[in-house]
Amino acid sequence: MTWKDIAPVPTAQEFIDIILSRTQRRLPTQIRAGFKISRIRAFYTRKVKFTQETCSEKFGAIVSSFPILTDQHPFHRDLMNILYDADHFKVALGQVSTAKHLIETISRDYVRLLKYSQSLYQCKQLKRAALGRMATLIKRLKDPLAYLDQVRQHLARLPDINPTTRTLLVAGFPNVGKSSFVSSVTRADTPVEPYAFTTKSLFVGHLDYKYLRYQVIDTPGILDHPLEEMNTIEMQSVTALAHLRAAICFFIDISEQCGYPLKAQINLFKSIKPLFANKMVFIVLNKMDVKKFEDLEPEMQTELNDLAKSDDVELLRASCATQEGVQDVKNHVCERLLAERVSQKLKAGTGSNGNIGSRLTEVMARIHVAQPMGGVTRETFVPEAIKDMKKYDKNDPERRKLARDEEFENGGAGVFSVDLKRDYLLANPEWKYDKIPEIYDGKNVYDYVDPDIDAKLAALEEEEERLEKEGFYKSDSDIGDESEEEVLQKAEYIREKHKLIRNEAKMRKSLKNRAMIPRKSLKKSFSQLEDHLDQLGVDTQEIDLRGRAAVRETRGRSVGARSRTGTVDPDAMEVDAPSARDRLRSQSRPRDRSVMATNRREDGVTDEVMRTKVERQAKLAQRKMNRMARQGEADRHIAAAMPKHLFSGKRTLGKTNSR
Amino acid sequence: MPQNEYIERHRKLHGKRLDHEERTRKKAAREGHKQSENAQNLRGLRAKLYAKQRHSQKIQMRKAIKQHEERNVKGAPAENEPSNPIPSYLLDRANPTSAKALSSQIKSKRAEKAARFSVPIPKVKGISEEELFKVVKTGKKINKKGWKRVVTKPTFVGPDFTRRPVKYERFIRPMGLRYKKANVTHPTLNVTVQLPILGVKKNPSNPLYTQLGVLSKGTIIEVNVSDLGMVTASGKIAWGRYAQITNNPENDGCLNAVLLV
Repeated sequence: MTWKDIAPVPTAQEFIDIILSRTQRRLPTQIRAGFKISRIRAFYTRKVKFTQETCSEKFGAIVSSFPILTDQHPFHRDLMNILYDADHFKVALGQVSTAKHLIETISRDYVRLLKYSQSLYQCKQLKRAALGRMATLIKRLKDPLAYLDQVRQHLARLPDINPTTRTLLVAGFPNVGKSSFVSSVTRADTPVEPYAFTTKSLFVGHLDYKYLRYQVIDTPGILDHPLEEMNTIEMQSVTALAHLRAAICFFIDISEQCGYPLKAQINLFKSIKPLFANKMVFIVLNKMDVKKFEDLEPEMQTELNDLAKSDDVELLRASCATQEGVQDVKNHVCERLLAERVSQKLKAGTGSNGNIGSRLTEVMARIHVAQPMGGVTRETFVPEAIKDMKKYDKNDPERRKLARDEEFENGGAGVFSVDLKRDYLLANPEWKYDKIPEIYDGKNVYDYVDPDIDAKLAALEEEEERLEKEGFYKSDSDIGDESEEEVLQKAEYIREKHKLIRNEAKMRKSLKNRAMIPRKSLKKSFSQLEDHLDQLGVDTQEIDLRGRAAVRETRGRSVGARSRTGTVDPDAMEVDAPSARDRLRSQSRPRDRSVMATNRREDGVTDEVMRTKVERQAKLAQRKMNRMARQGEADRHIAAAMPKHLFSGKRTLGKTNSR
Repeated sequence: MPQNEYIERHRKLHGKRLDHEERTRKKAAREGHKQSENAQNLRGLRAKLYAKQRHSQKIQMRKAIKQHEERNVKGAPAENEPSNPIPSYLLDRANPTSAKALSSQIKSKRAEKAARFSVPIPKVKGISEEELFKVVKTGKKINKKGWKRVVTKPTFVGPDFTRRPVKYERFIRPMGLRYKKANVTHPTLNVTVQLPILGVKKNPSNPLYTQLGVLSKGTIIEVNVSDLGMVTASGKIAWGRYAQITNNPENDGCLNAVLLV
């Protein structure tokens, strides 16, 4: 049970800073001219709400991080009550949670008012008022927050006391040697000083006895006076005594070196006796090195003995200074405590009618050791040969020869190599030194070792023979016909063709940001068509002729007898060659008057129905663009001359700060 | 495992670090530089917070210095009896005569009489109807039927008020802006209590506003002071007293008022 991970509680001022700066950092801060009032309202509403949420979250975290007293073990509850005052603690937490509720109310009110606000100024003022009132509430929490932080720090430093485990509780007057006992039995570093009230709070140490861990609690000294007069330090001891189910070691200093008379110490024991009910109590007479029990006055001796006798208490003796008897005390107490706890557990698990509860049976079954029935003793079996064997003796010349001896004879360690093959267990001892390759033909031989290889081979051979006899391997037809070959050839051809087509398509498809042109409008040369038809086995002669005729008709005037191959008559008269432009002009002709320029309204539209459909679609496509006043391609646009993202933030000279 | 006051214990056992004194001295010496750096380099909200904190620190410092100075003053304070007495005919200059006292008394009495009718905030900015009312358009004929108004400022509405039928309701006073209580300050006692409002006596801007119960700065309201246990001149317990609103309720989200006594 530790409270080491409670988060620090900020002071009121820090709290305000945290919350307000969080609001400032996390939310938008700018309002621009032309914001609608609804947007401004939302802006400030968000600020108020966010602040409230932060407050609620933080306050909630504080309240939930502290332990709830009623849920704690009575020991911890009482300890906290003594150290921090339970009422104060509860009130502080209560104030925090009340503040949380109040802040929520404020936020609700102001959010409501913000809904009615008419202007930016009004919104801002309302937000300001809301945050101000929240801050005021937090400011009023100054004291509880400071107190809670103190409590947190102290809680984190409290020793880790487990109230249910095996525990030794060391109690007694101040300065009787409690802390020195604890520091000598455990590793705990309890401060030991020669004055009273060295220990001001509970300390915990741990010791191991019989592989079990025991918790030793060192308590501050108690003086012999009524409970009401005890101070906080003493009350811690009393709490531990009252609530921890532990073995109590009450220390008494019979030498009276501590400065308190023996009488007073005995009185204290008597007065706090009610706290010892149902617990094991040991009186440890400390500082035996200074004064022996036997040296005491007889009446004191009898009184101590009576004390022990009347209350079923044991008297133990120790001296922390000389360490004499300290371990005995420890061992004795631990032994008794363990026995007591086991018997208590047994008793608790056993019902009133004597049968054992389910949980206890489980444990009992685990620790039960089975014994042979009928009281038979079963001896360990030892073979005769072993029983009669002579015991090995190093100095005996007749001794058995060990591998070690052999090694020594053959040159000692490092020189002698052990013959591992000697002890092989094989069917024939002669095989021991046969050489077997581990790897053969790059294969691990062992993978192919099969004990029943012969049987398997025999079975296979038999099957083979049978099959051959049945005529399984006889080929039923020797028709190596040509039709099949032809089919195969064709298939091969088709496959190749497919592959070609696929390749071509792939080439076409990887268009890398170019427009997809429909196949219909792709330009295809005549030769390509011819090739294709040829391949399909269509006669292309006729098409060729027809095409040529068509071209001739539309080409306009024949250019005349111009020969590219240089077959011009050399004797011909020299003629002024027309310039390139003139030649072009001579070939061009006006557009046919009878044919209109393509009417784009009707172009590509088959009939009236189609036209209306097209028009409707065009309108529809344009609608959004028009409605949103989107920029279209027809709009005039001047791109930024120096795009910001390309030019800002690139450093040449100067530092980050200079920009 | 550290337990309890382990830090103090460690100090006790092993002492402080060897360079502890040096470190504390250096830290103290560095403090001024640190403050200066913060003051120069912090930006934004942190700068504001820092400046505020520093401001209050400086005030504290100045006060402390002043106190020290006062403590260190040497010599006796100025004497009541001047070292060179003034002749009797000059004494009048300093102390006013009885006639003068009488006249000032009368004057102050007159002022007081006037004060009976004066209020703490004598003059306020007017509120126009455009500002106070928002037009609600109802019905289908949007342009024609703009006869309904919503009051946009806080109002007081009596406890037995019921809204009129929609058709006849010209002014709507929203539920969210209705106030029932005011924080009233007693000017002489200097205490502030939250008191229930009984009614709106007068709104200086417009009699219509008074009728509607609009609460704006300078409005005179009647508050229930029975909790204060005030007594009238005739010895009866007063329960309704007038108070004047001193803040802008629409901006602050609360009503602050001063009791008129």
